[in-house]
This record gives sequence, C-alpha cells and structure tokens, in this order.
Amino acid sequence: MPMWIIVVTLMLVFLGAVYFDRHSGWFDRQVYGPYTSAYQLEEYQPKSGAAAAAAQGKRVYESVCGVCHGTDGLGKPGQAPPLAGSEWVNTKGFDRLAHIPLTGLNGPMQVEGKDWSLAMAPMGAALSDADLAAVLTYIRNSWGNKAGEVTADDVKSVRAALGARPQPISGSQLKAMPE
Amino acid sequence: MIVNETNKTNPTASEVDASLRVPLLALFGGAALWLVVGSVLALIASIKFHAPDFLADCPLLTYGRVQPAADDALLYGFCIPAGLGVMLWLFAHLGQVPLRGAIVPVVASNLWHLGVFIGLAAILLGESTGFAWLEFPRGGSVLLFFAYLLLALWVTMSFAGRRERALYPSHWFLVAALFWFPWIYSTANLFLVAWPVRGVVQAVIGWWFADNLVFVWLALVGIGTAFYFLPKYAGRPLQGYYLALYAFWLLILFGSWCGIPLGAPVPAWLPSVSSFAAIMTFVSVLSVGVIMCKTLCGGEKCASLGGPYCFIRFGLGSFLLSALMFIAMACPKFNLLTQFTWFGPAQTQLQLYGFFAMTMFGAIYHLLPRVVGFEWPFPKLARLQFWLSMGGVVLLVVPLAIGGLVQGMKLNNPGIAFLDATQATLFWFRFSTTGLLFMLVGNLLFALNIFALTTVWKFALVKRVIAIVKAPLEIAEVKA
Amino acid sequence: MKNGCYIFLAAFIALGGSWLGLVYGPIHQLGGAEQAIVLNSSDTYPFQRPGDATLGLQVYRANGCAACHTEQVRQTGMACNVVLMNAGKNPVAVTNLISSLSLTNLTKEAADQVAGQITAAGGKSEIHIIATGPNIARGWGMRQSVAEDYLYDAPVQLGSLRAGSDLANIGVRAPDANWQLTHLYAPSGVVKGSTMPPFRYLFERRKMGETPSPEALQFPKEFTLPDGYEVVPTPEAKQLAAYLLSLRANAPLYSAPISP
Repeated sequence: MPMWIIVVTLMLVFLGAVYFDRHSGWFDRQVYGPYTSAYQLEEYQPKSGAAAAAAQGKRVYESVCGVCHGTDGLGKPGQAPPLAGSEWVNTKGFDRLAHIPLTGLNGPMQVEGKDWSLAMAPMGAALSDADLAAVLTYIRNSWGNKAGEVTADDVKSVRAALGARPQPISGSQLKAMPE
Repeated sequence: MIVNETNKTNPTASEVDASLRVPLLALFGGAALWLVVGSVLALIASIKFHAPDFLADCPLLTYGRVQPAADDALLYGFCIPAGLGVMLWLFAHLGQVPLRGAIVPVVASNLWHLGVFIGLAAILLGESTGFAWLEFPRGGSVLLFFAYLLLALWVTMSFAGRRERALYPSHWFLVAALFWFPWIYSTANLFLVAWPVRGVVQAVIGWWFADNLVFVWLALVGIGTAFYFLPKYAGRPLQGYYLALYAFWLLILFGSWCGIPLGAPVPAWLPSVSSFAAIMTFVSVLSVGVIMCKTLCGGEKCASLGGPYCFIRFGLGSFLLSALMFIAMACPKFNLLTQFTWFGPAQTQLQLYGFFAMTMFGAIYHLLPRVVGFEWPFPKLARLQFWLSMGGVVLLVVPLAIGGLVQGMKLNNPGIAFLDATQATLFWFRFSTTGLLFMLVGNLLFALNIFALTTVWKFALVKRVIAIVKAPLEIAEVKA
Repeated sequence: MKNGCYIFLAAFIALGGSWLGLVYGPIHQLGGAEQAIVLNSSDTYPFQRPGDATLGLQVYRANGCAACHTEQVRQTGMACNVVLMNAGKNPVAVTNLISSLSLTNLTKEAADQVAGQITAAGGKSEIHIIATGPNIARGWGMRQSVAEDYLYDAPVQLGSLRAGSDLANIGVRAPDANWQLTHLYAPSGVVKGSTMPPFRYLFERRKMGETPSPEALQFPKEFTLPDGYEVVPTPEAKQLAAYLLSLRANAPLYSAPISP
C-alpha cells in the first residue's frame, strides 16, 4: 500500500475542507454561491433611504459603542450604563445627547434609577458628522427606544458650538443642560 | 464429475457454465438488441444537428425524445443487463457453484427487457418523466425494479452458497453494486415520480440518482469485472490488495456524494459538498490506475490483438480518463468553462460506452463461448468490432469534448452571439456523428455474433432432440 | 474483508450516508419551502403559473425540450453601483467629486466609501446591487436562479446542456406569443442558422377560410407559405407558448439580492 497515496489523500482532505469552509455558507439555506456567508449576503442586500442609514448606524454602533454598551444596548455593570430605555437617550431634543460622545462624560449620574460613577472617553469625536448622526439615530430607534432622528447638520451645529478640544462634561452639568 | 472421498461432487467449470447458459443468453441477447436500437437512435439524434429537418415531422423522433431514448437504451437496455449477466457468471465461477433454479433469472431477464421496451416506447410517445436517466415512467420502472431484485437475489444466493469462501477484490465491488441499484432506483422513483418532492429538491435527488447510477454503479461493476480479467490476462495476481480495498472504500464513500453541479440553483453547501467529494474520488481513481499499471506492466502479454483483453484494457483506460474529466468538471475554474457545454455529454458517453460497454464486450467475448459450448461463429468480426468501437469512441468523444470547450469559451464571452457558439460546435459534430456511425456498425457486428451463437446452439439442440427422437429403441425398452 | 456481511455493511454505510446528506438533507431544508418575499415590497414570489402554462410545462417535458435548453441562470459575482440621487446644497462640489471617482462595479466596502464621500460633500446617493457573470451579461437574467424559482414546477426542468439558449427569463426577452409560436413552427425561419428542429406537428397547416383565423401565425417577411394557407397552433402549442411566456425569474429576493 504505497504511502504517498495516503499523503495525497490527507492533503486533498485538507484542501477540500478549506474549500468547504470558504464556499459552503455553512449549510445556510439562503446562501447561494457566489455568496460565501450569511454575513456577506446580508451586506449585499440593497438598502434604500432610511434602511441604509439604519444599517450604517448599526455598523458604526457595533464597532465603536457596542463594545462597552453592548450590542443589545443593555450596558455592562461597571463598564457602561444601558442605552435601552434610558431617559438620556429618549429625549425630545438631540443637543444634550449629542454632547456625550463629542465631549466625553465623567460620572456620577443616575441612569434608569441606578447610580453610575464611571468615565467615558469622547468616542464620537473622531467620527464624521454623518456617522455620528447615524449612530445616534440608531440608538434612539433601537431596543424599544422611540425618539426622533439626528441629522448630520444637527451634529455639525453641536460640534461648532463646542469648539476645538472640549472638556469632558460632568454628570451634574449634563443634567443641568436643556435636552 | 469428480467424485472425491466424501462422496460429494465438485462441479467442474463446464458444469457451472452450462447452468448459466439460458439466463445469460436471455440477458445478453436482449442487451445486444437494445445496444443496436440505442445506436440507431443516437445516430438519428446526431444527424438532426446537421439537418434539423431530418425526420422532423414525426413526433416520435423529435430530438428531445430520441436523445434520452438513445441514452436510456444504452444504459438500461445494454449496460445494466450485461453487467448483471457478467456478475452472474463471475459469482458462479469465483464461488465454483452452478446456478440453481435458472428459470427465475430467465424470467427476470425477460421482465427486464419488457420493462426497457415499455420505457423506451413511453419516451418516444411523450410519456417520459422529464428527469435525466430516469425517463421511464411507472410501468417500465416497476418492471425493471422487480426484475433487478430477482436477478440480484439469485446472484446473492450464488454468492452465499459459494464453495470457495475467500473473497476477491471483484467480490467487494460487485456485491456493493448489487446492493446499490435497488436503493437509488426506488428512492428516485418514489421521490420524483410517485410522490414528487417540492421544487428544486427534485433536481437534487435527480442529480444524486444520476451520479450514483452512471458514475458509481457502472464504476463498481466495471472495475469489479476488470479486476477479475486483468490478472487472468496479465498472468499474475492483482497487485495491491489493500490498495484495491482503499480504492473501493473511497469510491463508495465519496463517489456517492458527487453529482450536484456548481452554480446550481440550490444552497451553496450542496455543490461545495459535491466538489469536495469529487476531489476525494480522485484518490480512488488514482489507486485504480496504480493497480492497473502494476498488474499489467511486467506481466505476460498473452493476448491476441483485438481480443477480449484489448477491450478490457481500453475500457479501464477510458474509465481513468472519463473519471478525470468528471472530477475536472467539479473544479470551480474548469467548471465555469465546461458547464452546460458538450463536454458533459462527451464525458458521459466515454463513461457509458468507452468504459463500461467496452469492458462488457471483453467479458462477454470471453465468457459466452465457454457458457454456450461453441466458439464464436465470426471471430474475425469480433476483432473488427474492437477496432470499429474503439475508433468510434475516440471519434465521438474527443471532438465532442473539444467542441464543448470551444462552446464554453465562446459562451463565456458575452460579446459573442449565442448562435456563433452553436455554429462553432457543428464542425466538431461532424466527427462525432461519424464516430457514432462506426459504433453502430461495431454494435451490429456484436449483435450478429451473439445471435449467430444463439442460433448455432439452438440448432445443435434441435439436432440433438431429433437424434433422440429418431434413435432406434433399445430392445430392453420394448415390452411385449 | 473476510465476510460478505462486511461488504454489505460498507455499502450500507456509504450509500446511507449519501442518502442522508443529499436526499434527506435537502428535503428537510428545502422541501417545505414556501414563497419568498420580494425585496423592498410586500409581494410574494413565485406566483402559480396560469392554467395553460402549467399544462405547457407538461408539453415541454413530453417533447424533451430540456435536452437542449436550460432554465437556470448562473451568477459568478456581485457588484455595487453608486447612484447619485440628490446633488444637495453644493452641486458643483458633488459633481467634481463624482467625476473623479469610479461609481460602477465596486465592492461593498469601496461603494460605502464612495457613498460616504458623497454624503460628506452634501449629496445623497444610493448603492445599487447588481449581479455579474457571463449569463447576466448575455441578458439571460438579472440575477441567478434560486430554489424559489422552481417552487411550483413538477417536474423541474433545469436542463444540463445549452445547445439552445437559456430559457429562465424567456418570458421577459420574448414576451410575444406570436414570436414563440412562429419560432416553434420554423426556428430557422425566425432565427437564421438555428439548429433547433421544427415542431410542425404541434401545428396545423390548413387552407384559409374566407378570412384568416385570428389564431393564425404571423410569419416574418422572408418566410412564405403557399397562397391561401395558414398555420394554426394546436392547444398543445398554445400551452407551450403560455408556459414559455410565464418564464420570468427577475424578482429580487433575499437569497439573490439585486436592486429593482
């Protein structure tokens, strides 16, 4: 029994497994070649208008905010307060909310009846107006939150008012601000 | 008869052969007839490409009916009964036990041929089921199924009651083949014809069935037969027992998962699994090639030109080539070029005729004289058939494959009109039609030899009966 | 292997495995399939073919059309086009921007980037998804064929050889019943150089009455019939034409996304 045939078999098994991993969509019912995964299929779904903005907001949220606030918006104790049902998110205006990612936040403050004493870096300072607007809109319309959208112009005006290098805002300062 | 010490009698080879006479003549005689019918239908179909008006006003002979009928006549009419007949003979000989109750296989053969007749007539009359390789509607397929079961049962009884208990590599392949067909045939007919599944799953099961029948079953029977005859002709035992076992396992384990074409309208995991399985089947084909080379090279060359040995050697070589074509078609880049082109039919024809039919010709040319007890009436025609069939297969397959590649290249270029691609293949078609003509003549010679042999045997039988009737009575038999 | 039982067991395991994987698996996954929702609309797809078309499928099967024609479109890739919807408050800047960028045949990431740039310049854009591949470029369809396209067909006539063109969207390419019928009667008269056999037995050539029948075929100029004769389709021909006209598979679906 020639050994090289066994070697060839094992090599082909390996190559075949790699091919299967890349091209099979892992038994997903809706993934047809040339799509290689359910994620890619979702990516290539045509989106129009509001749907596109929501998708953009979700993408930004999951890469920037979701790490601490959770992809489900429920926050993590000791790390970040929840956004789902938060009175700071569900506001009529956008001004106070937009300050938080632009300036950063120093606790203590109360969120949904609980005390939080943490510090948040200005995570939104590096985002473009459009991206920040999209993510704020996403937060305000997800996980049961029902608040209005935030446009890129809104974000632009808040940024302009803040000027360059704004200092982190404190919880009490935030509470004193109009919504 | 040889009586040994325990007073049990060991049957001689000629006794074993004699017991198989009528069943094998029934199987092979009908098979030869369907072979010729299939060749005629295939030639008609091929001519229609050069002259679309040829016999166009006869609905029975429209291309869409004649082409599937030709394919099915070759597969169900010739290949499967020939395979079953060779299996009957091989098991009887390997086990050294004569066939008992030969009437049942004879009835089963006739049932099978009746089923094929009904099926072919149904296709030509427009009653086909619409699935590739499964066109026979209910009446024909039920007859085929039960005929196969009967024949398989008799082969199994022969196998179970074998005197020589050792198992040879041929046994593995052939026993697996016996088991294979009823399962796939019943599944396909139940899920596609009797209680059809919904939507595209029909196509998936159809592909599974076609792969398991045309690729795996034919490979099992053809290789099993070749592994019996190769050592005989090479004068040395089969080289590589464990390699043959490995080839067998890989063939049945992975060969049965091939078949779903890339780009099919099914979720991506199905074609990916099939491609993976096809790559693994490559190892099995490689192993068979290694065994063939090792057994043949260095052995004695006790073969006459154009004799059965040439058929079997050519058949096994065709197997290697057609299997490689099959596996290549499952590779993504090559598949983009060859899918939906004539390359696929070229591979199928090489497999059906170049591999399996040629192997069966070799086996039948070897065994039938021994079974019937007379030599072939036209041995020179048998040799001529080898050259005609071999030439025909080469003329059919090679230009068709090249035409398919040309067609694929043109179709992949959106700037080239579809008709230009079709016109480009017509040039290669001329060679293929000529090849089909050669094959038809070769098949006619084969059928002629079989019918002549049957006639010689019947004539001798009648002569013996007349002699018995006319013989003067023994004095002791006359009672006053 | 020493024993016949082991061979039987080996064959059983091998065939049983492939039966589970390629017969039971797809039945389980796709056998109970229902209609799919068309993207960005509330329509469901596919619709049941009208009565004549369902009978036409049987005529298609009986005449073995699947021996030469396929009914599946294959897609080898996907791409995005960025389309400007609104130049916004700064049309000059936006126009300058898009003239310097490539807007067609982009990957998703590239398209997102371009869209972001346009939004930053004040314009509004949309990303359109398209399917790519030789079949698509040839006009045989706008997206690949998926399982839903064959939901109500029995038998499914996918075909495996393209001796003739693909028919998945023939109802979109040639929506005229007269064209379909004349092509069936005399393919080489309608498409020069066609190798398709004529299906004259599906028609009746008869002497015209006082007025030509409303169902009579209208042939192209070059194709002449003897004077006073007309060709009328039999019911089978009409069913086949209805089936061919019902072959449309361009609705965007989740599993084959394209922008409508």
